[in-house]
Amino acid sequence: MLKATLRSFLAHKGRLALSAVAVLLSVAFVAGSLVFSDTVGRTFDRLFASTAADVTVSPKEDPRAARATGAVQTLPAALRDRVAVVPGVARAYADVSVQNVVVVDGHDRSVGPTTGAPTIAASWYATRRGPVELTSGHAPHGAGEALLDADTAGRKHVRIGDTLTVQAQPGTFDVRVVGIATFTTTNPGAARIFLDPAVAGRQLLGSAARATSVSVDAARGVTDAQLQRRVGAAIGTGTYDLRTADEQAKSASAGLGTFLDVIKYVMLGFAGVAVLVGVFLIVNTFSMLIAQRTRELGLLRALGADRRQVRRSVLTEALLLGLVGSTLGLAAGIGLALGLIRLMSAFGTNLRAAETVIGWGTPVAAYAVGLGVTFVAAYLPARRAAAVSPMAALADAEVAGVGRPLRARAITGAVVGAAGAAALAGCTAATRTAQAASLLGLGVVLSLIATVVAGPLLVRPVIRVLGAAFPLVFGPVGRMSRRNALRNPRRTGATAAALMVGLALVGGMSVASASLSASFDQRIDRTLGADFIVQSAGFTPFTKEVADRVAGTPGAGVVVRQRLSPVAVRMPDGTRVRTTATGYGPRLDDVAHLTYARGGSAQALADGRLGMDAGFARDHGVRTGGVIPVEFPGGRRAELTVGALTEQEPAGGFGTQGGVFLGLRTLERYVPHGQDSAVYVNTAPGTTAAELRPRLERALKPFPQVQVRDQSDYKNLVHDQIAVLLYLVYALLGLAIVIAVLGVVNTLALSVVERTREIGLLRAIGLGRRQLRRMIRLESVVIAVFGAVLGLGLGLVWGVCMQQVLALRGLTALAIPWGTLVTVVIGSAVVGVVAALLPALRASRMNVLAAIAHE
Amino acid sequence: MSTSAAEHAPGLPPDGGVAARARALTKAYGSGETAVVALDSVDVDIARHRFTAVMGPSGSGKSTLMHCLAGLDTVSAGQVWLGDTEITGLRERELTRLRRDRIGFMFQSFNLIPTLTAAENITLPMDIAGREPDRRWLDQVIDALGLRGRLTHRPAQLSGGQQQRVACARALASRPELVFADEPTGNLDSRAGLEVLGFLRGAVDDLGQTVVMVTHDPGAAAHSDLVLFLADGRIVDEMERPTADAVLERMKRFDVVRGRLGDGVVAAQED
Repeated sequence: MLKATLRSFLAHKGRLALSAVAVLLSVAFVAGSLVFSDTVGRTFDRLFASTAADVTVSPKEDPRAARATGAVQTLPAALRDRVAVVPGVARAYADVSVQNVVVVDGHDRSVGPTTGAPTIAASWYATRRGPVELTSGHAPHGAGEALLDADTAGRKHVRIGDTLTVQAQPGTFDVRVVGIATFTTTNPGAARIFLDPAVAGRQLLGSAARATSVSVDAARGVTDAQLQRRVGAAIGTGTYDLRTADEQAKSASAGLGTFLDVIKYVMLGFAGVAVLVGVFLIVNTFSMLIAQRTRELGLLRALGADRRQVRRSVLTEALLLGLVGSTLGLAAGIGLALGLIRLMSAFGTNLRAAETVIGWGTPVAAYAVGLGVTFVAAYLPARRAAAVSPMAALADAEVAGVGRPLRARAITGAVVGAAGAAALAGCTAATRTAQAASLLGLGVVLSLIATVVAGPLLVRPVIRVLGAAFPLVFGPVGRMSRRNALRNPRRTGATAAALMVGLALVGGMSVASASLSASFDQRIDRTLGADFIVQSAGFTPFTKEVADRVAGTPGAGVVVRQRLSPVAVRMPDGTRVRTTATGYGPRLDDVAHLTYARGGSAQALADGRLGMDAGFARDHGVRTGGVIPVEFPGGRRAELTVGALTEQEPAGGFGTQGGVFLGLRTLERYVPHGQDSAVYVNTAPGTTAAELRPRLERALKPFPQVQVRDQSDYKNLVHDQIAVLLYLVYALLGLAIVIAVLGVVNTLALSVVERTREIGLLRAIGLGRRQLRRMIRLESVVIAVFGAVLGLGLGLVWGVCMQQVLALRGLTALAIPWGTLVTVVIGSAVVGVVAALLPALRASRMNVLAAIAHE
Repeated sequence: MSTSAAEHAPGLPPDGGVAARARALTKAYGSGETAVVALDSVDVDIARHRFTAVMGPSGSGKSTLMHCLAGLDTVSAGQVWLGDTEITGLRERELTRLRRDRIGFMFQSFNLIPTLTAAENITLPMDIAGREPDRRWLDQVIDALGLRGRLTHRPAQLSGGQQQRVACARALASRPELVFADEPTGNLDSRAGLEVLGFLRGAVDDLGQTVVMVTHDPGAAAHSDLVLFLADGRIVDEMERPTADAVLERMKRFDVVRGRLGDGVVAAQED
């Protein structure tokens, strides 16, 4: 039996090759993401472990300030002296390290990374372990000198002796580069500039008496944990975080982890799509192989093989396929990871010291995915194979499965579909975001299953309509290709399903993102009253000098600053809501059109008050005049009075829960030394916007991190942010299409083989080769377009439901990107043509006589 | 047409013209030492408006002869004409057009496209060509074959005999110069077979068609006007106005020859 299985596997290797590619792709993405994150993770762990002090003392951060405020959490530099005398401490250093700086060269260009990685300004530590070592020049002495890291210097062509401008929170200052520091291990991609420790506190934090952390080295014989306990006992753990080297490395890695996680999840997303679409391909392949071999299996049964043996034989074949696919996929995955690491180096994260890490989990996961997918996909076809009766050996070579009724599918499809529709309807009716989102997820999964199950039932009605014009346009060739597509609805449905899954995803996401863009546009139109917005592309905070420059520009009228801060708000109903509060300067009404349910801008921005969204307030039992405890970063707490409730959030606070906003002075009291996240500018009377813009741009030339945008530029910026998400979806679509094409090729190739005699007959009675090719091409196109229409229809429903969920967050516009949808349908027709290339060529090359005589 | 050449060729018509002819037609498979000669310098004329049967034991080359005459297969040497058109040397596309427009085909089985109705199958060659069928002729053919009530049926809904009648109608529908029938009764029971043979006979007598039929059934051959006997790639005999018994007797002599050659297998055994 095993021999028969092996023979059969080898005999069908051409057809199985396409399935193997599907397995390969899913395994490659799984293995690639694991190898990549293991390698990069190990590298960074090693980097942080080698550079972390035995114990690091830093200010407590809750809620995490993140990078929203531009303010830096500090501790008194004198803490170092208190720590230094603790028994077991060998040495202690007060460190200054900040990320809220921009370093500009002599041509007003930022030397920082363009990838979104930070620029880090820190005090120089010549005597200790660190990620860099001085490789040329000398250490910085005094206020006017600095070191730059070698990678940045190389990339931005900075040499020793050049002057750089550092825009720090306390103020801008110039430094001369006196040395170059080179990374000893791995450069995670940040730009680094080092200052004399004697002046770093004053220049970067505004006070020589402040520092950002204290690094502690243990005396001989004292463990990190012991040291942590002793230092903690001496200075108290209420206001400070104490981390051992391990903990510090872990937390630093975790910071990087979010970025690595994104890559990991993207890759796993690809793997998921590959698995999902691949399953269809494999199920289809095995179903077709078994249909083709019905007689052979019948003969095996007649010769005495029992059902279990037949089933096992098919499953063994599947496992062989999985084994081959997984092995190739594992190799491809390692290649993929290496490619990604290369790519990261090109973007500034230099992993040259890294060696590829292939943990034991990688091959295990690779084979589990590969074998699991093929086994699961082949299980149903294998059961069907086992059900072949010995009589099949004697019967005519009628293809099995064609005539079987679809009633079971109809019932399952209807039941699951109804449940899915109910969930989706529930999601549009829900009033709470969390509830709506979970109903949406459930509805998406159920409706997808229902469509896949019921797909074959939809083949007839949908293709009748889609191909209605075929006989008219293409004559008998069109008629035959349409009927060929209808011939085996099960097979057509399964083939189209692969394409459908990918396109449903794209359809849904494109509707959601178009709606998102439209909602933002709507809101910008409705609420934004400023002529210009000065902002950085990545929404990172910038120095307050920008606002001063803007205000000083001739022709600039009202200037309103905006700052952000993460906050935790304790609501009267007891919930603690973490969100982002927005601080505005006075005269907000001149740059924003706000409608208030209660009160007005004056009341919201007054000292010690705040405003929030009326709906959010209602949900949590907040009334105007009520007092609400608000926690700011650095443990500062405030009791703020609700001054006003808005009907919609101000323009700056998109998507932040509750739309909490307050006066800039109130915010500065609790988050001092912050930076602006946006500056709104109006033209002064007598000046036109066209006159003001070049003046603003000239005034802001030394600040390359910010740009001047009018309302349409601002909309484009928002659109671009949404587009990033869409590009990812398109990449997923690309992969899904590649696999779906393999599926269509597979189906057509088998159809061509099955219809050999028919093709021979057609050729004998005078069908030309080109006509034959066209017939197969049209069949392929109709299958592909069927999949696209089904997928986009489903995606459209999902998209509309997603929009309903977004509407709960105030994003109420619904936009359906018809252009994109039509393009996708046309694209799917092209996909059909491409998929038909080889099968059509093969059919047209058939020898007429051999084809007629084909058994 | 050269009369002297025609005199040597079997199947010379007593009156009318020639629908197809072959001169020194040779077909070999493979090359060199292992070459198998299926047709060995065959000269043949197919008389117009007659029903010609081609008989011979298995491997005698009768199907190959038909394929070469119909432009389905290439020849190794010699020439083939359909009417006045020399088809040897035509390119694939021209041959396809020739088959479509000037020749009708009937095969032993699998004659119909399963996705098309009987009516669509019948007019398929003309549809492919983009030509309007001659309605009156078509009606005549359909009525002659008794298919009026079956036109909207799919092949799967028809009996074997009905399917062959549809195939026959298709072969005749475009009023071709020549109808080739390759064992058209091979898969039918005797009653349905007789019906089909009756229709082919009728096509020649009543509709003025020309039919060439390859068969190994002496009973079927008896319906023809002329039987050509093939053996080892040559035309070895012919018989005008055949009867089943006479054909069977002639065929038995092949078996004797074969038996003497030590083949031991009665190749042309009838059912």
